[in-house]
Amino acid sequence: MNFENTQHPKGFKVAVLTIIMRKLVLAAVCAIAMFQTSASQAQQATEIQLTYSKGQFQPSQVSAPANKPISFRIKNLDAKAMEFESTSLRVEKVVAAGSEGVINVRALKPGRYEFYDDFNDKARGALTVQ
Amino acid sequence: MVVQIGRGHALAFCAAVGVFLSCGVARAEDPNSWREIETKYIFGFTLGSGIGLEGEKEVTVDSIGRFGKRQGHYAASETKYEFEFTPSQFIQIEFGALGSTHNIGGVDSLDDRSQIALGGAFAELRYLALERTSNNPLAVTLAVEPTVRRIDETSGERVRNFEFETTVNADLELLRNRLYAGFNLLYEPEVTKTTLGDTQREAKAGGSAALSFRILSNVVLGGEIWYLRHYDAANLTAFTGDAILLGPTLFIKFAPKMFMTAAWNAQVWGREIGNPAAFNLSEFQRNRVRLKFAYEF
Repeated sequence: MNFENTQHPKGFKVAVLTIIMRKLVLAAVCAIAMFQTSASQAQQATEIQLTYSKGQFQPSQVSAPANKPISFRIKNLDAKAMEFESTSLRVEKVVAAGSEGVINVRALKPGRYEFYDDFNDKARGALTVQ
Repeated sequence: MVVQIGRGHALAFCAAVGVFLSCGVARAEDPNSWREIETKYIFGFTLGSGIGLEGEKEVTVDSIGRFGKRQGHYAASETKYEFEFTPSQFIQIEFGALGSTHNIGGVDSLDDRSQIALGGAFAELRYLALERTSNNPLAVTLAVEPTVRRIDETSGERVRNFEFETTVNADLELLRNRLYAGFNLLYEPEVTKTTLGDTQREAKAGGSAALSFRILSNVVLGGEIWYLRHYDAANLTAFTGDAILLGPTLFIKFAPKMFMTAAWNAQVWGREIGNPAAFNLSEFQRNRVRLKFAYEF
């Protein structure tokens, strides 16, 4: 155990608070940087239009180019809300009955990305990025 | 004798998990029809790379219990009452309050006490550095978690403590929707000021490996092993002891927006510098248990 007597308890408190503040400022700067990157990417997005009808996505298989951001535009034609969700795309959005929702996705690497309606296990689809 | 029983229980549990994983129940469903799983909480104390979905919010009660010192009776817990959210597709932020309990009697160098207290507060920032795709099974997240405490985690004494946990959380999808490996690296410096005016600087460092098998679409079973080292200096220069902990893990998703995770680690090997006795029960405990419930919205 490395104990030592400290003569300046106020100094200790200030030092600890300073460390906390530095870390929080760093975290905030990183977060803002990420948001700005995301926002700038959204301006050049590839748009994918989907409709949701009778508990199914139409079309259920879509494709997009790699390394470009993507914007899903989903029209929910059903009489109840649906939730567009994808673990690999890391997005979720509830789209109310009879309305439209837009989901912006980062630039993606080549691969297959599944999506689904979180309220309906049978509604599935996939995005192929190449 | 006590040592052998503890180790035996841990090994027996891991063996039971292994047998269960390989039994026919695990082959009853087609994993290709399952949704992808969020990996953050499927490895017990080991954290996966998951950061949630953009826009997702979650409230969580996450308790860690620590039991067993060399003498007497020792039971302590720390519970995080946590709110977490994912503001972007790369970052997750968490914060909350800490509650602690201590029930200690007859343990050398620790005062007897029985108390429940509001222990402190914490915040965590997680950044997804490498994302998994269908072509790349590896994902890596970097996390920092500053924590302030007014109650010492081990002794339950009134202190002023600041800890800065830094971790690398990596996981690998070995079999699609079925088998996952998790790996953590940990560096956790802290400084504590006691009511007597003493200042203690220390650090914990180590790593873990975990294997989790999805036996049903909503149930994941596994096991993990941790190797932890303790130092009486933040720069890792004053080594005081190390330990290996081993145990089973469980993850259950009750509903699309609700899940729990549970884990038990038993110390199966440890050493204290200057003490020839088995195990390191000065800096670590004989057993630790994690139980977490979460609701997403």
